[in-house]
Amino acid sequence: MTNSIPELETDSRCILIMGSNTSEGHPLIASRIVKAKERGARVIVIDPRDIQIARLADMYIPFRPGADVAVLNGLMNVIISEGLEDKEFIAARTEAYAEMKAVVEKYTPERVQEISGVPADMLREAARLYARNKPAAIVYAMGITQHTTGVDNVKSIANLAMLTGNLGIAGAGVNPLRGQNNVQGACDMGGLPNVYPGYQAVTSPDAQKKFQDAWGGTADTVVGLTVMEMVNGVGDGTLRALYVMGENPMVADPDLHHARHCLEKAEFLVVQDIFLTETAQLAHVVLPGGAFVEKDGTFTGTDRRVQRVRKVVNPPGNAMADWEITCRLAQRLGAGGFDFASPKEVMEEIARLTPSYGGISYERLEELGFLHWPCPAADHPGTPYLHKGKFSRGQGQFHAVEFKEPAESPDQDYPLTLTTGRLMFHFHTGSMTRRSEKLHQEVPEAYVEIHPDDAARISFKRGQRVRVHSRRGQIELDVRVTKRIKPGVVFIPFHFAEAAANVLTHAAIDPTAKIPEYKVCAVKMETIGVKEAKSQGPS
Amino acid sequence: MIAAIREAVAERLGSCDGVVALRRRNGGVAPHLFQKGDELAEMELSPRYPLMTVVSRLHKAFPAIRLGVVARGCDERAYVEMAKRNQIDPTRLEIIGFACTAEEAQACYCREPSPKHPVAGTPPAPGPPNPLVAKYDSLPLEERRSFWKKQFSKCIKCYGCRNICPECFCEACAMEDMAWVEPGLLAPPFPTFHLIRAMHMASRCVACRECEHTCPAYIPLTVLYDLMRRDIADLLGYIPGADIEAQQPLSLSLEQAPLKK
Amino acid sequence: MEYQNTLTTCIYCGCGCSMYVETIDGRITGVWPDKTNQISGGRLCIKGWNVTGFVGHPDRLKNPLLRKEGKLVEVTWDEALSQVAEKLSGIKRESGADSIGLMTSAKCTNEENYLMNKFARAVLGTNNIDHCARL
Repeated sequence: MTNSIPELETDSRCILIMGSNTSEGHPLIASRIVKAKERGARVIVIDPRDIQIARLADMYIPFRPGADVAVLNGLMNVIISEGLEDKEFIAARTEAYAEMKAVVEKYTPERVQEISGVPADMLREAARLYARNKPAAIVYAMGITQHTTGVDNVKSIANLAMLTGNLGIAGAGVNPLRGQNNVQGACDMGGLPNVYPGYQAVTSPDAQKKFQDAWGGTADTVVGLTVMEMVNGVGDGTLRALYVMGENPMVADPDLHHARHCLEKAEFLVVQDIFLTETAQLAHVVLPGGAFVEKDGTFTGTDRRVQRVRKVVNPPGNAMADWEITCRLAQRLGAGGFDFASPKEVMEEIARLTPSYGGISYERLEELGFLHWPCPAADHPGTPYLHKGKFSRGQGQFHAVEFKEPAESPDQDYPLTLTTGRLMFHFHTGSMTRRSEKLHQEVPEAYVEIHPDDAARISFKRGQRVRVHSRRGQIELDVRVTKRIKPGVVFIPFHFAEAAANVLTHAAIDPTAKIPEYKVCAVKMETIGVKEAKSQGPS
Repeated sequence: MIAAIREAVAERLGSCDGVVALRRRNGGVAPHLFQKGDELAEMELSPRYPLMTVVSRLHKAFPAIRLGVVARGCDERAYVEMAKRNQIDPTRLEIIGFACTAEEAQACYCREPSPKHPVAGTPPAPGPPNPLVAKYDSLPLEERRSFWKKQFSKCIKCYGCRNICPECFCEACAMEDMAWVEPGLLAPPFPTFHLIRAMHMASRCVACRECEHTCPAYIPLTVLYDLMRRDIADLLGYIPGADIEAQQPLSLSLEQAPLKK
Repeated sequence: MEYQNTLTTCIYCGCGCSMYVETIDGRITGVWPDKTNQISGGRLCIKGWNVTGFVGHPDRLKNPLLRKEGKLVEVTWDEALSQVAEKLSGIKRESGADSIGLMTSAKCTNEENYLMNKFARAVLGTNNIDHCARL
């Protein structure tokens, strides 16, 4: 997030939510938006599903999944044609405006209506609401990024924020909500194939030398493989060993039949986890890790907020906190530099080598509770919002982005669009929440949400189950008929291994970010009669 | 004020096994069981937590211990109803009470902002009645329904109102009973989910307002419970938390109940 | 008689809500929202209130497992770590470090992710490290 979460409540005059089911995915951020709304902030929700937060919005705009760039270009088209852009900000702080403008001019509300299904007048009204109520924050999540055009979508969102001068001030900004508790931290800490901790590029010889000197050894300057490339790599034998810590690609990856086919071929698969997950079941070695209450450490929240995690109890049996496992394994391989007595000492090394974490220490966190990075020095107060006065790269760059169709659109054989997502009651692959009694009892098994029109089309009767097919596989599951979803679109939560939405999803990826298109693929559906005894999943 | 309370706590640590109060640690404040040798300088009075729930859990876990507890007026009222329902053993508890400030009484719309015998603080004037109740009373019947419909549509089913409530301690909760509430829906079914709780608060709710403070959807829950308190007072002459000797009206037969005609 | 509340951060999304995990004699007995947290301010969602629900589940892995004759069987740490170390160094020797890949975890701590990154790059010598940021 360019801005911090509390600003939504205290500063934003308009909040535009697009591709984020905020109430279910980020409930306590939604809570801030509820409060902002009661204070008088305007709320716009643009989403294919009539999600809970849409109910309190000033405007709810449903649209066809995958048409994000068209909708965003349309909003900008209206803003420019009505003279609502922030000319001063554009002149002083941005570049490449003319190129962007030339593309956006083609996306008239009428054309956008044709592409996206958003009525032209609704688009105009939303554009005015957003542009006239500054500071305005854009809040988004995987609904924006999990597309073959994910990077284009994000660039379009940045365009919209810059066009209206909604960056570098409190309550504004481009605010991706990170789905997992520490996905921000995993990125910050160099858990990516292209960067060292603090986003220092592996391709930079200077960065390489810095870490070579600090660690006494490091990798070359070639960018490594992404998750999807690794899974494919073990499948085709170019990758001989895969070490997986606390991830479950056998439920989380797109096109699961393909993922299973690959992982089963792994010459050597190590899985470190707290449960024998679907992925761990394929492993050659399984190492029992520690849950969050069994270790000390820090997490970095979606607004770059570093906070403490504290040990409450010991891991069960001979299980061990994950940091200790990595240290032991490194020492087993004869490596130095892994003789840490505690995570506090690890943070001291992180601070030494990661400029944005330079001023973060357990002592300060003990006193302050949290620190927002960038926090370069021990006397720096942290940075709640970014890009004040100037962008990190200098001038803010506009991008001219054209709308592209998703990789797979519905057709005669597969007439429905499948979109996937999260539920309030579960988390990711369900290995933890489905083993939590109170969460499991809310939603014990998978279901597909369909519109009454589509239910009628397949002669669905209450109590029946359906089989959903894509070109990659099929699953059987329960049905919820609801007008919250558009006709022609179906929604399946991805938490349930036995009816995994990702059996159906498409492994097509964004060419730059390499993120799979979880949010759009083509499916068909048929009823399969009344279900027998309820399968309960793990409990 | 806190100095006087610390002194009272230090004294009780001589006769009790421990004293439940708030402690500042790690940059935050949470319930703590102070025992001999603990640093009383870390003791705090705010923010509020339902400390009687902590007492209850400790009484159940350790059937022989004697405890002290640093309590506000709302804590003491909670204690009264919990003791009547066998959640706290009154013979094993000493209350170290203190009065809330006038500002706190105002903010909580608290009618009894002090325990019966505070060791510190001067009981302030009661706070005003919850203005939302009067506003609600002025609504015509059909608008009352839509008022709650709108409010409850924000609910994200966290169960926080129940979890934080000192008077909610049933092992099996009707809010989780599939016969009453279809599980897994957001917002939860209207109005059963919230009305189940409201009905169960009859003769229990002591107006501590913790439910409203913990609600991520900012639902004005205390309006509902204040209305319930008013009805119970009007119909049955019972004020939850007021008197440890007064028998709970719903445990009497209707013949015995002072039901107003 | 031991009663503790330990302040920690929720694991179920990126909001950064914090809570106290309550223990009586070392057994987890409940969760209290942290009223001073800037994000959550004493509020939690159902996942936060039940954040420790899985911790004591009987399915928790308690020992390392090694595949022997097709089956995963419990072994000591010594045996498991030796096996991993041997295999990884063998593969690195034969095919180079880039024939090994690592997935680190958005559910683990910063310190653990830092160590995995250091392990991948400094010990094995590969940039093949990624996690589910895209998934």
